[in-house]
Formats: sequence, C-alpha cells, structure tokens
Amino acid sequence: MVHADPNRQPEAMTARSLTAGVLIGIGVAAFLDETVFHQLLHWHHFYDRSTPTAGLVSDGFFHAGGWLCIVGGLFLFADLQRRGSTATGRVWAGGLIGWGGFQLYDGLIQHKIFRLHQIRYHVDLLPYDLTWNILAGLGLLAGLMLLLRSARARSNRPQPTR
Amino acid sequence: MAPGSMAGSGPLLRLGPVLVFLVLLAAMVAYGIGVARLRARGDHWPWSRSAAAAIGFGCLVAVLVLDPVLDLVPLLVPVHPVDVMALPAHAVRHLLLAMTAPLALAISAPITLALRTFAGRPRRTLLTVLHSRLARALTTAPVVLVLDVGVMYALYLTPLYSATHRHPYLSALVHVHFFLAGCLFSWYLVAVDPMPGRASTRTRMLVLFLAAGSHDLLAKLMYAHLLPQHGGSPGQIRLGAQIMFYGGDVIEIALAVAVLSGWYARTGRQLSRARRRQSETGTGTGPGSAEVSDETPGTGTSARSTSRPG
Repeated sequence: MVHADPNRQPEAMTARSLTAGVLIGIGVAAFLDETVFHQLLHWHHFYDRSTPTAGLVSDGFFHAGGWLCIVGGLFLFADLQRRGSTATGRVWAGGLIGWGGFQLYDGLIQHKIFRLHQIRYHVDLLPYDLTWNILAGLGLLAGLMLLLRSARARSNRPQPTR
Repeated sequence: MAPGSMAGSGPLLRLGPVLVFLVLLAAMVAYGIGVARLRARGDHWPWSRSAAAAIGFGCLVAVLVLDPVLDLVPLLVPVHPVDVMALPAHAVRHLLLAMTAPLALAISAPITLALRTFAGRPRRTLLTVLHSRLARALTTAPVVLVLDVGVMYALYLTPLYSATHRHPYLSALVHVHFFLAGCLFSWYLVAVDPMPGRASTRTRMLVLFLAAGSHDLLAKLMYAHLLPQHGGSPGQIRLGAQIMFYGGDVIEIALAVAVLSGWYARTGRQLSRARRRQSETGTGTGPGSAEVSDETPGTGTSARSTSRPG
C-alpha cells in the first residue's frame, strides 16, 4: 500500500515491520553465533563427534536460514523506510523475539536434545548453559512485552478519519 | 597422484580444455558484439550486466587453468604440491564452476541480450525454445532442486566420486552437469532473463533456502563421515568440506541479494508510479487513487502479469 500520510499506517505495514524485525533478529543471532563463538572464540566446534544426523539436518537448515533471514529482513526494512511506514516499536519487538527465540532454540534443542555441539568444552557447562538460555529467554520476553505495549498503544490511539 | 595421468588417456581429453576455452572465447566475443550493437543503435545496456559477464567468463577460465597452475606452483616456489585430485581443489573448482560462474552469467542476462539483438529466424527459434514444454518442465522447483543439489548428494555420498577418478570421461560429464545445473538454478532464482511461468519471489526464496540448507547439511555429512571415498586424507576431506560450507554461504547470500533486489526494484517502480498518479490526481484520498495493490514478496508474478499491457 502506498500512503503519503505517515500517521496512517495500514495493518499490512505493521505486520511487515514485525516480520522484518523477527528476520533481522534471527539473522543477528545466527551471525553472532557463527562469528563470535565459532570463528573468533573457537568455543563451538564445526562438528562434534557425538552429533546425530538429526542435529546435522537442523544445523544445516538453521545455518543457511540465518543468512537468508538477515538478507530478507534488511530488504523488508529498506522497503518500509522507502515507504515511510516503519513501525519502529514493532521492528524492535520482532528483533528481540527473533534473537531470543533463535538463541533459545539453539541452546535448548540444538545443544541439548540434538547434541549438536556444546557452548564450550573441558569446562563446567552449567553456568554457560544457564547464561545462554536465560539471556535468550529474557530477550524473548522483552520482545513480547514490547509487542503487547505497542499493540495496546495502537488500539488506544483515536482512529484516523477517512 | 599426477593429474597428467588423466591427460594421457585420449586425444579428445587432451584437446578438451582447449576446445572449451575456444567455446568460451566465442561466447565472450558474441556477448561483446551484442552489447556493442545495442550501444551503436543508442540502446541502454547496464554496465553491471557486462561486468557480471566478465566475472562469469573469468571464473570459467580460472577453472580451466586451475589444475595446471596448481601443478606448476611447486616447480617455481618451494611449497608442498597441491593434490588436484583431492577434495579441497575439487571444492574450489566446484564453487567456481557450479556456483559463482552461473550466478554471474545469470545476472549478465545473455538471453535478454540475444532477444534484443537477434532478428528474424534465430530470434523465433530462441523464443520457441524458451516457451517449449521442456523449458517449462526444467524450470519447476522440484526439478531444479533435484538436478542441482540431489545430484551432489549422489556424487559425494556414493562411490560415484571414486568412479570419476578412474574414468576421465565421467569426470568431464560430471563437471558439465554441475555447470549446467548451476546455470539452471541461478537462472531460476535470479530471473533477470525472461522465463515462461516464472515462480514468485516467495517460492524462489524457499527454493534457495532448501538448496542452501541441503548444501550445508551435505558439507557437514561429508566432514562427519569422511566422504567422498578417495577424497584424500581425513584432513583434506575436512578442509574440502569446510571450503564447501563457508564458500557456499557466500554465494548463497549473493543469490539472496540477487533475488530480493529484483523484487525491491520492481516494487520501487510500482511505488513511484503510484506516487506520480497520486500527485496528478491532487488529494489522493479516495480509496482508488491513494492505494495500489501492494506487491508482497509472494505475489511477484501475478502483479507482473497484470501490469503487462494487453
């Protein structure tokens, strides 16, 4: 939709703001995981001997998906900016939900259930696992609260006259 | 293993690279002549397309000279000889031949160039081929995926890879297949050239996601199970699998950018058209004038076909 009036944001664009945020959030989480923990710190391993095939399948698709998410999210964001209809609160809410959700999936499902690799080796894992998952959970929670708040603010706002 | 042993098995194989080089040269010259003819009659042809063509042909020439260069290097400087039959060299070759070159060539839009420079019978023949049932069947998502990624699984996870070491013709066939399948994949995704029944942006992104995920999974499977057989020492196979994994990422990101910049440019044109219309009608508050149907990434083709005149 094309709207010259910036005060009137159609539902499609608020949804697109949230989508852009979620995609960028997932992408950033995947990017940080890959660069910081795999490449810079060398805490994570490319392949851990105990990984079952299900873990490799999940890893392959989430790794590829992470890159595609960040590219797709940035294109959607550029499109919103071009139209002047970015719902900033939704973008942030989506970003936190995407980042927290992906990291929680990585920390609980991929690390623990699929035993893809662990956060770090030859150390007591518990503090690392707790930090990883609690941070992710807080991010997800903050994103959901932000989303609720912006939804409430929207419904309280007087409807624009057509 | 000396790669020279392969060259001794027939005159066609020894001449093969030279013939391929001549074909490449002819294609390069043809592209250049096409662009020059467009320019001469005052038509616009984006320089980015010519640059993409140069990169594409450059990658293919690099594949041709990679093995001889790798053989020569240890003779000139004291380094450990590179085993050109082992997986790392194969992975580099594969990234250039099956991924980078096809992507660059798809962006260079040679079919569009041909349609704009050819006239009469050659042009009609090209259009017939483009609209043929075979072309339509080849450019459907499952076929593209099976030909591009499915065959890779067959090559690396079965004894087929070892067989290509024993039979040079099979090796040549596999390389030709990878180039052509890579072209099909890139043309399908980039979609700069005309294609009947082109898939929507959303479908193409989904196909890219499936292919990229399968590619990364295959690299990890090879690393984990030390496949393919005869891919070299465990260290060489692990290095080759990582080249495939991270090199693949770079090309996959480039492919995603190529797919989505097409969508971005198309919606941008619609947006500016709508804004022009809005300023012409003045207020633009009426439901019909203020809004145009938004093209989400999912409805690429439908919006495209409705905007076509007639």
